[in-house]
Order: sequence, then structure tokens, then C-alpha cells
Amino acid sequence: MPPLRLPPGVMATARRRLGGTQGARFWRSLEELAGEPGFARELDGTLGRLPEPDSPGRRRFLQLLGASLAFGGLAACSGPPAEQMVPWVSRPGDMPAGQPRFYATVLHDAGDVLGVLAESREGRPTKIEGNPAHPASLGATGALPQAAVLDLWDPDRSQAPLRNGVASSWDVFAAEASDWRARFALDGGGLVVVGGALVSPTLRAQREAFLRRFPGSRWHAYEAVGSTQAEQGARLAFGRPLLPRYHFEQADVIVALEADFLGGMPGRVAYARAFAGRRRPEGPHGMNRLYALEGTPSLAGAMADHRWALRSSAIALAALELARALDVAALPASAPSGLPPAQLAALAADLVAHRGRSLILAGESQPPEVHALAHLLNQRLGNAGRTVDYMAPAVPAEPEALPGLAAAIRAGQVHTLVLLDSNLAYAAPAGLGLDTLLRQVPQVVHWGLHRDETAQLAAWHLPASHALEAWSDAQSFDGTVAIAQPLLAPLYDTRSVHEFVAVLMGETVQDGHAIVQSYWRTQPGDDPEAWRGRVRGGVAQPAPPAEPAVASAAFLHDWQPVAADTPLELLFRPDPTVWDGRHANNGWLQELPKPLTQLTWGNAALLDPQLAARMGLSNGDVVALDCAGRRVEAPVWIMPGQAAGCVTVHLGYGRRHAGHVGDDLGFDAYRLRGARAPWIAPGLALAKTGRRVALASTQDHFRIEDDAPVRELDAAALASGTPLRQPPPPSFYPPQPQGEYAWGMTVDLNACIGCKGCSIACQAENNIPVVGADQVRRGREMHWIRVDRYYAGDPARPRLYHQPVPCMHCEHAPCELVCPVGATVHDSEGLNVQVYNRCVGTRFCSNNCPYKVRRFNFLQYSDLTGEALKAQRNPEVSVRNRGVMEKCTYCIQRIERAHIAADRGNRAIADGEVVTACQAACPTQAIRFGNLHDPGSEVSRAHASPRSYDLLEELNTRPRTSYLARVRNPNPALGDEA
Amino acid sequence: MSGRDALAPHALIAPGQTPAAISAKVAGLALRPRGGRAWRLATLAALALTALLGVGIAVLLVRGVGIWGVNIPVAWAFAIADYVWWIAIGMAGTFISAALYLTRQPWRSPLSRYAESMTVFAVSVSGLFPILHLGRPWFFYWLAPYPDRMGVWPQWRSALTWDFFAILAYLLVSLMYWYVGLLPDLATLRDRAATRAKQVGYGLLALGWRGEARHWRRYRTLSLVLAGLAVPLVFSVHSMVALDFSEGLLPGWHSTLFPPFFVAGALFSGFAMALVLGVPLRRWFGLGDYIREIHLDRLAKMVLAAGLVVDYSYAAEIFMACYGGDRHELAALAARVGGAYAWVFWTVVGCNVVSIQALWWPRVRRCEAALFAIGVLVLAGMWLERFMLIVDSLYRGFLPSSTGLFHATFWDYAFLAGSVGLFLLLFLLFVRWLPVLSMFELRRLAAEEARA
Repeated sequence: MPPLRLPPGVMATARRRLGGTQGARFWRSLEELAGEPGFARELDGTLGRLPEPDSPGRRRFLQLLGASLAFGGLAACSGPPAEQMVPWVSRPGDMPAGQPRFYATVLHDAGDVLGVLAESREGRPTKIEGNPAHPASLGATGALPQAAVLDLWDPDRSQAPLRNGVASSWDVFAAEASDWRARFALDGGGLVVVGGALVSPTLRAQREAFLRRFPGSRWHAYEAVGSTQAEQGARLAFGRPLLPRYHFEQADVIVALEADFLGGMPGRVAYARAFAGRRRPEGPHGMNRLYALEGTPSLAGAMADHRWALRSSAIALAALELARALDVAALPASAPSGLPPAQLAALAADLVAHRGRSLILAGESQPPEVHALAHLLNQRLGNAGRTVDYMAPAVPAEPEALPGLAAAIRAGQVHTLVLLDSNLAYAAPAGLGLDTLLRQVPQVVHWGLHRDETAQLAAWHLPASHALEAWSDAQSFDGTVAIAQPLLAPLYDTRSVHEFVAVLMGETVQDGHAIVQSYWRTQPGDDPEAWRGRVRGGVAQPAPPAEPAVASAAFLHDWQPVAADTPLELLFRPDPTVWDGRHANNGWLQELPKPLTQLTWGNAALLDPQLAARMGLSNGDVVALDCAGRRVEAPVWIMPGQAAGCVTVHLGYGRRHAGHVGDDLGFDAYRLRGARAPWIAPGLALAKTGRRVALASTQDHFRIEDDAPVRELDAAALASGTPLRQPPPPSFYPPQPQGEYAWGMTVDLNACIGCKGCSIACQAENNIPVVGADQVRRGREMHWIRVDRYYAGDPARPRLYHQPVPCMHCEHAPCELVCPVGATVHDSEGLNVQVYNRCVGTRFCSNNCPYKVRRFNFLQYSDLTGEALKAQRNPEVSVRNRGVMEKCTYCIQRIERAHIAADRGNRAIADGEVVTACQAACPTQAIRFGNLHDPGSEVSRAHASPRSYDLLEELNTRPRTSYLARVRNPNPALGDEA
Repeated sequence: MSGRDALAPHALIAPGQTPAAISAKVAGLALRPRGGRAWRLATLAALALTALLGVGIAVLLVRGVGIWGVNIPVAWAFAIADYVWWIAIGMAGTFISAALYLTRQPWRSPLSRYAESMTVFAVSVSGLFPILHLGRPWFFYWLAPYPDRMGVWPQWRSALTWDFFAILAYLLVSLMYWYVGLLPDLATLRDRAATRAKQVGYGLLALGWRGEARHWRRYRTLSLVLAGLAVPLVFSVHSMVALDFSEGLLPGWHSTLFPPFFVAGALFSGFAMALVLGVPLRRWFGLGDYIREIHLDRLAKMVLAAGLVVDYSYAAEIFMACYGGDRHELAALAARVGGAYAWVFWTVVGCNVVSIQALWWPRVRRCEAALFAIGVLVLAGMWLERFMLIVDSLYRGFLPSSTGLFHATFWDYAFLAGSVGLFLLLFLLFVRWLPVLSMFELRRLAAEEARA
């Protein structure tokens, strides 16, 4: 009998369906598949209808048998695990092989939870997109979640259980765990679990079961960068733990007391969207006005209409002065903050004028009293319930967890310490001395992705499954819960946190899928269809309603604010890219220039320019930071806008066992951190060492530009409606041939918050290699879209600007003219395309590019040997080898995909059908892309705005990428003094 | 003034030189059995540097152009500076041997051979760099229009395409002209060679030249044709090199004045190199009877004249930037005289503007040491000028964000030193095995002087 001929599409469909199943289970799987309407529909277009399995004729049976052999072979390839996974989105029409599929899942990162759609290509997760249905994402991701796929494929991941550093197995561990269970069954006093923020409802349920099972045991949630201060503040104000949820879309006037709601708070992606939505001057409600008081520049501060640099410790005083100006009674006496009274009065008047439509919020770096005062003021101003409401945390924070653990270890009360991906040996404040105390614990069990500093000390190290390999669930900042579904079977011999806890407890059910599902069976409204819906949509449980909350002023009696009287204070901040150090081994995040400093591959002590001038320090000079007897040497970075008297250090560097990428970069700021005041350390001493290090910055130069490429309008200029764009000068060159579409992009500088999500999304989408610190120092970073940072105004109080710069796709492109081999050419839809195969590497195109957006493979940057990394790559984009030029393509692969879909449907590409990677990741929708020929398209409307202008228009390159000018909305009473 | 020069200061050849004496002296140099200690040492040094270049090329091909300090925005640096510098050095040889030939200047006779050899070697060395600086050097032939299945052609609007042709044509024509000019002298060497190997070797190279009237007639025709081709080519090649930069829109590059200025700059550095090579040749090989002070004097005058045109070009660039008032041009000018590479600019001024003013004095023009020193200064100055032109224009762009300094690596210096080594090696082999002066032209010059 001739074998059944399978059209090519079926193979991939089948592989997708069957991947991960074992040969023995095949028939059952086929029955399931054949019975599932979705699969039959998919096969329809390519294979014809499958026979009904209950009435096979002889020929049909043999045909099926042939197919089974073919499928059986395919199933050997890696793919999604055998459990049911439900695709969230089916693109219109049938889905041929090679099309990416998207699965709704959820990622959590140090307490920040984001619903995402993970892109899977032939069973390999390759890209993270935001989930429009998830309220924390609204379709965007920002920077950090983009790097999750690289973490998954990281070759340094821990791959097998280790017992005292020697390879062991899960079975041996399970046997040992059963001994501990016997020991702690009656008295769990010596058993302590430390994990990260408890965002997973399933894990919370497991925790409760654990604490019941081992009476007296403890389970702490510790995050080096958490929200303890905020929770304690709410406890002060409301008498019980509550979490605020801000509604920036309702706020006309916002006062951020060192609150980096754009870069550092859980929910930042959604907050950024809501905030930027009110920055559009064209919007129906007008622009909001942001006042930021902060010690060190932050993303929120950079967007502020009034940014007042104050010492971090003086912000409490300023908050009290503001409260006084708002006539709050019974305030404690306080020293002056240094803020001019006129500014305070204007701010207070502005708040009063926008009663019920204003918002005061405090950042985690401020003490609890400031948070409480912010809650109180919001209530007095009638904002509570409008611009802010409250929800109860599932597990209240324990501010004394770590000091308590240290004391217990010192007292010899801890016998078995289980660490759930908690790197206490590195990320605990040095004041606690946990890195040495851990050695005194008889039995340390570490479960984690990497064999990190803590794992080195642990008797057992057990490898963790990555979030894209495991079933779980997570609750985001507003209380929405989403279910995390795996995209592939674990690559290595790993377990998810739920599976690990089940092993620990000796549960009969140790399968992650079953554990998560069994939790959800206990939730109301459970049936198989509901489970599917929960997984498919990406939202399992909507946000809970707001809790009624009444702030009391009682805390004011006990508050004794202290004046900032030491000459220097040290501020701690999470690193913008590697965060608390957990992403140290992620090359994308290491190489992503940190917003505001543009540093890569390391951290530095940020100094204000005056202090640097006084001490004769310049960028890269190493200083000794001395604080409460703790001493660390760190290179200096001069930061305009830094408050005088504040030195900022970022956590997350100085890792000793992060992996090949992250080891021995920067300095370890945890060594300076005290146990009690985690964010501000007064009494800092600074001393020159005379040494210098070369910091890897992508924009080292630091002059305040008087003719910055970022344009800014004030209200008067905006009201006049005079367009910024000038008609292009005449040109000798004939116009380029025009095709059906004219692709164009606009970048709204008023919306861009400088988070650099675009840069890293582009890196993930376009297989952009990581080059390393040395190459960055040599000026060879490869990002196709960079975010430039500029300063303007008084150097003591600069205004900060961000400007994303992708390829401009000039109509009269200077690069095309000079290439001797025609490797960069113009296409009829206006794309300036780079033909890698043809490029010989003269680099003339880059020399002639006035925007300097071209990137050259000076060496072999793409890793051609790492097998794990190959799996991450986007198969639709060429991997470039050394010697060729590359640059932004406007995600031509996505344009082509839309072309194919449109051609098949015999229709035109609709507006919004092509979404570039940078555009998709942007939390504030600052980037718009589409067809400029279509006057109704979003990009055309943005292009027609009076704010629209071209970069370097005097060169007559006629770029397709244009910008929308920034608009400031200063308080008229304060003038333009910033 | 040495004795023989003093006898007849304006004579182009020392009195008493007979055709036989000339042939004996020059052929004797090429046919001497041993090269001499100094020659061997110099060759050894040149070989070592050439080996460094060889290693550099190997490393470059294995690892990529990233071994140099090039980056974004400074995507061109040493390699292109080396290329422009070497090709410009070639200019003077062609000018002396072809342009002065066409204009019937008999004083060129003793200079033409070594100057032309200098041209051939300099152009050969320079031709390496455009290929090596490519990201994928093995595809350099894609710049040539050759028929292929894909129907892909070079991109004709790019100056680099035309530059490729200009260099190739220039190299081929100067090689031919040089070789044709060698033919009568190769025959002389064949006839005077004492060993069988040399007789056969030179005999093969001499292509059967027997000095018949027929040969001389064809020789003169061919020389005229090749000289007529070489002169426009030498202008075209330097104009094309200039257009490589003019075509760009960078401030500092985007200037229509570049082609004539590049020709002047090429003459300037070429004559300087002719002095730097001529002075030791004359001294070590005892060629004072042929390369006389009057020749050095005229070379020095050419250096001065070309140098003044170059200086004028510097002034014109500054003037045009100020007169044009374009903000980018003004910013580029400010960066040039006061920016990160200001030291390059002021060194260039010192070498190319100040040092040559000494040549106004006839005493300086006849002093070998001074001429050699000025020649070296001008060569260094002209290399730095190319460095300034490239790096200083690229390191700061139109956008303030795209500023990036260039830091040279070991390999940048290695390629520069290695190219000097290769050039010297070729030149040393030339002075060892080939007649350093054109014997037949000197014989005619001697005859004409005797007749006069």
C-alpha cells in the first residue's frame, strides 16, 4: 500500500499536538486529538477529513496506521508537555506550519506580576508579548519580562539535583525528605521556609497546608526589593494591612514622593499606560501634571512637570510641610525640608483646586510614616475611592522576618532551612550577616534556577523549572489572578515550586498541573469548561472590589521626623535591569543600557555634579563608600539631577555565582545595607582611592545640549496649532516608487518614559546578539532601537528627556547611495532594507547615516555554538554573522506575515494588523506603526499632528520615522522654573 | 655643497660622466654579488615588519575587523587612513616619470626610476587596505561588474565602486609603464651579467630587447601612450578617493573642493616620500653625480608648492565652514580645532604648514638632513591629516547622542607598521636587483650635456 502522503502543514500541526507524548500513549492521544474539534478543523484544510475512529475500513485503518508511525516519530521531538494546553489566540484563518502560536500565561518577577502571551514556534518559546486581556499588561510588557525567554534557554541553568555539590536525584531527595517529615511532624520548630513574594494562590494554599502539617514551622516571604514599607505605612494609616491601587487615569495632579510608579512599582506597566494616557494633549481630559520629589532621578521623575530634587531623608519633611499647607492638624514639629515655601504653596493650591482628582503617592524608599501621610492626605483631598483605592493583601508582610530568622539561627533553633529560589547568601542586608549564619544551619535545602551563592552553601540544591515550563498561577498588583501554563516540557530534570513543595510534603499528587488544577477546583464556579476559560483567556479571577478604608491621623502622634543632618546619605535602589540581582546572568538585561545612566554590565555610585566637582571625581573614579562600619569600593557616575548630599547605589551586582554572564560584574551594594533602614543609610563617608575603572556606557557624553534633537512645546505653542514640521526642501532626486503601502512610524516623546522595553523586545524579536562589556566600551553595542537620553535647562536642576531612535527608513536614504554593492536598497513600501547576503562590510552606510542607527558585526557576535541559545531564536529572522551591517527593519517579518494573511484573504492589510516588536512592548503606546498612505490610519493621524516633526529635517532625508514633540504642563503659578 | 655639485651647479649630471661610466656604476649596483651589511639588516627589519603584517592579516581574516579599534560611529579609521596615505604617496612617482616626461623636463631623468618604483609599491600596498578593511574581504570582487546568474551589479552611484576601478586601472597602468621603462635597462643588465642565472633571469625579463632602432621607436610610442594614460589616471584616482568622502553628508566630508585638494595633498606627500627615499639612496649608493643638489632643490620646491596648495585647502575649509554658517559644519570645525582630537589638527598644522616654510631658504633646500627631516614630518603630517579627516569627522555626528571616541588597538598600529615594512621590503628588493636609476635616460642626458 502506498504510504499516506502528508502535506507539510500536517507534520508541524501534529508535532505541536503530539510533542512530548510517549509512544505508549500514542493511541489514546490520537483518539483525543481526533475527537477534539479544534484539531479536526486544523487538519481539515490540509489533510481532508479524518475518518471516524469507530468505523474504520481496512484501507483506512492501514492509512491511519501509516500516519501513526509518522506521528510517532514526530512525537519524539520536544514540544509542549502532554497535558492539555489551550491556545489563547487563533489568528484569523487556518494556521499553516511556521506560524507562531501564542499561549496566555503569567510571569512574576519579585512580586511584579504580568499576564503575557508567550510566543511558541514549533514548540519553542521564543518571545514574550503582553496580554491585552490582563489588567497589569494591557498588551504591553516593558523591559524585564522580555528577557524571560533568554532565562529559559540560559545554558547556565541548573540541570540536576545536587547533594553537597555532587549529582544526585530527586528520588534520593524524596527519601531524605520523608525522614524530615517524620522528624518535624509533631514539632516543626526547626523547619523554616524562605521564599519570594507569595503571589501564587496555589502556593499560598500549599503554604497553609505546610504550616498545618508541621506545627511550629515558619514560612517567610522575603524580597530584597519588596513593598514592606508601603504595607507598614498602610497599617499605620488604616490599622490593618492594605495595598493601594492607583488610578492615574482619574488624576489631574499627581505628587510622587520618591514614588517611581513608572520604573519601580508593582503594576508599573499598567500605571505607565494610565499615566501616559493622560499626557496626550489631544486627549478629552487634558494633560495631567506631575510633581516629583526625589533624591535620585527616576523614570517617574524624568516625566515630571516639576521635579524637585531633595535629599531622600528630607522628603518626609517636605510631605509634612505639604500637609501643613493643606491644613492637616496635629502634625509633629519638623525641621525645614529646604523646599521654597512658594513652591509648596503653589503645590498645595494646585492640589486643593483638583480636590478628588489629585493623587499623592509615596515610594517604597520612603519610611512607613510618609506612606501613611500620603494615605491621609488623599483622604482629606477626597481622592480615596477615586484616584486610589485599597485591597487587602493575601499574606501580610513580615518586616521582621529576616532579622527574626537570623536570631533563630544564632540561637541554634533552625535545623532545616528550605529556600525557594531565595538567594539569602547574597541578597540579604549585610547587617544581618546571613551569609555566614547560613553555614551554621545543619540542613539547607535550596530550590532555584541557578546554582547561586546560596546554593553553594546548601546541602541540597534542587533545580527549578522555569516559569515557561511549569503550571502555576499569580496575583497581580490589582488582585487579578492568572494561570501560568507551560509552553514546553521541562528541559532538564527540574520541578516547579508547587511540585517541589509537594515532594517536600510527600504528597501523593506531585504533578504541577494537577496541583494547580486541584486548587482551582476549590474555587467557585469550577467545571472543566471554566478551567479552560481561565487558562485560555489569561485571567482566572478578576480583581477584587476595593476594600473600604478610613485613614486615621493617630500615627502622627508617634511620629518624630528626623532632620537630615549628616553631610552625606546613601540611597539604595534596585538596578533597573538586573533588579535585585536575580537577572544577573541574563545577557540581554546586562547589556540593556540602564535608563538615565546608560550604563551597561555594571553599577556605579551616583553622585551629584557639585559633589563630584568638589571631590575632583570624574566618571569611573573608584571611591570607598563607608557606612556604619561597612565598606565597599565603587566607581563613580556623575548624575545630573541627583539631590545634593545623596549618593545612590544600585543592588544586584557583585554576584559571585550568577553564571558565566553575571559573575564578578560591578560591586555588591548589599554589603552596605543595614538590617533596619533598607533604603536610606545616613552618615556615609566617601573617600577617593585613586583607582579608575572603565565603565561601559553607551552614551558617555554628558553635556547639556542647547540644540537637543528632542523638541518640547509649551501650552502656548501648542494652542497656536502651528505645525512643527516644515515642508521638505526641494531635492534633485526623483521620488521613490510608491507601492500599495507606505510604512511609517511615529514616536510620541510625550508618552515615552524611557523604560527601554522597546530595545529589548527588538533584541528578542530580531535575534540581536549580546556583545559583552568590552565591546560596549568600544562602542559596538548592537541594539537596533536605542533610547537616547538628553538633559536640558539649568545643570543643577536639569530636565530629562528620552528619545527612542530606530532606523528612520529615509525616503532619500544617505546609506543607500553609498553602498558599492547595493546591499541596502529601498523597497516600494518605503522600507530601507538591508540585504545581509550581499553586504561586504564597507561600513560606508553607517558613516553616512546621520542618525547612526546602523550596527555592524565587527566580530562574530552571534553565538553559533550554544545549542540552548539557538532554540530561542526567531526562525523568521536571519542570524547575522560577522562582517555584515544590520539595522532596524521595521520588523519586516511581521509585515510579510500580514501580507501573506491579507493576500490569502484577498484583502488589504488593515490598520493595526502589523505591530512591530518595539510597539508591542511599549507600556505607554508611544510607538505607532502603520500605513502612511491610509489617511485614517493611526500613524497617519499622529503624523498629521502639529506636534509631529522629523529628526534632522534640514538634511532632507525625509524619514519615515517621525516624532511627536514633548509637551510640558507646568503649574502657571510656578512659571517655567521646573 | 659637495665638490662635484660646486663644479657646475646647474648641470643636471656631473661633468665628465660618460655613458659607459653610467652603465658601469648603475648596473654594478644591481649586479654586485652581495647586498652589503646595511642592506641585509634593513631587509631583515623590513621582513620582520612584513611578517607582522602577515600575522595581522591572518588574525584579521580569522577574527574580523573588530580586532581594530573601529566602532560605531567611527566605522573607518586606520585602514582607510593607511589606504589614502599610501595611494597618495604613489602620486609623485607618476608625476615625475609621466607628467614631466610629457612636458619634456630633462631633470626628471635620474629621479624617474626610483620614484616610479615607489609609485608601484605604494599603490600595491595601498590596494591591500580597501580589501582588508571590508567586513567580509573574501567578497571584495562583488564590487566588480561581472556577469552572474543573479544578475546583480555593483551600485553605480557609490563612489566606492568607482574607486575600485580607479585603483585597479591606476595600478595596472603604472605597473605597465614602470615595466616598459625598465626594458632597455634590463637588457643592459642581461648583457653585463656575469653569472648564467642572472643572464637568464634578466634575459627573460628583458623580453628580447636588443636596442634596435625599431625597438626604440616602439618603445617611445608605447611610453608616450602609457604616460598619456597614466597622467589622467593619477588625477582620476585621487579625485575618486576624494569623492569617497565628498559623497558623504558628514560635516568635514561633504565638500566639493576635495578632489583638487586631494590631488595637491597626494603630490605633497609623494614628493616628500621622494625626498625621504632619494636622500639615503644618493648617500649610500654614491649617486651624487646623478641625483645632484639641483634635483633635491627642485623636489623641495615641488614639496613647497604642493604644500602651499594644501595649506590653502585647510584655510578654504575653515573659511567655507564660517562663510556657509551651517550649524553642523561650524560645530565640526569647533571640534576639529578644540575637540577630542584637537592635538591631531595642531600636529598637522605643525607638520604641513609650519615645517615646510623652511623650504623658502635655498640653503635648506640643499641640505640633505633638513630635507630628510622635513620629508618625514610631511609624511607624518599627511598621515595624521587623513586620520583627522576620517576619525575627527566621524566621532561626533549630527545627533549629540552619537558621539564616540576611537581608540586604536595594537593591530591598528601593526597594520600601519607592517605596511611600511612591506613597502620598504619591496623597495629594498628593487634597489638590490634592479637599476635604481634609468641608465639609458642618463646616458642620453650625459650625451646631451656633453653636446651642449
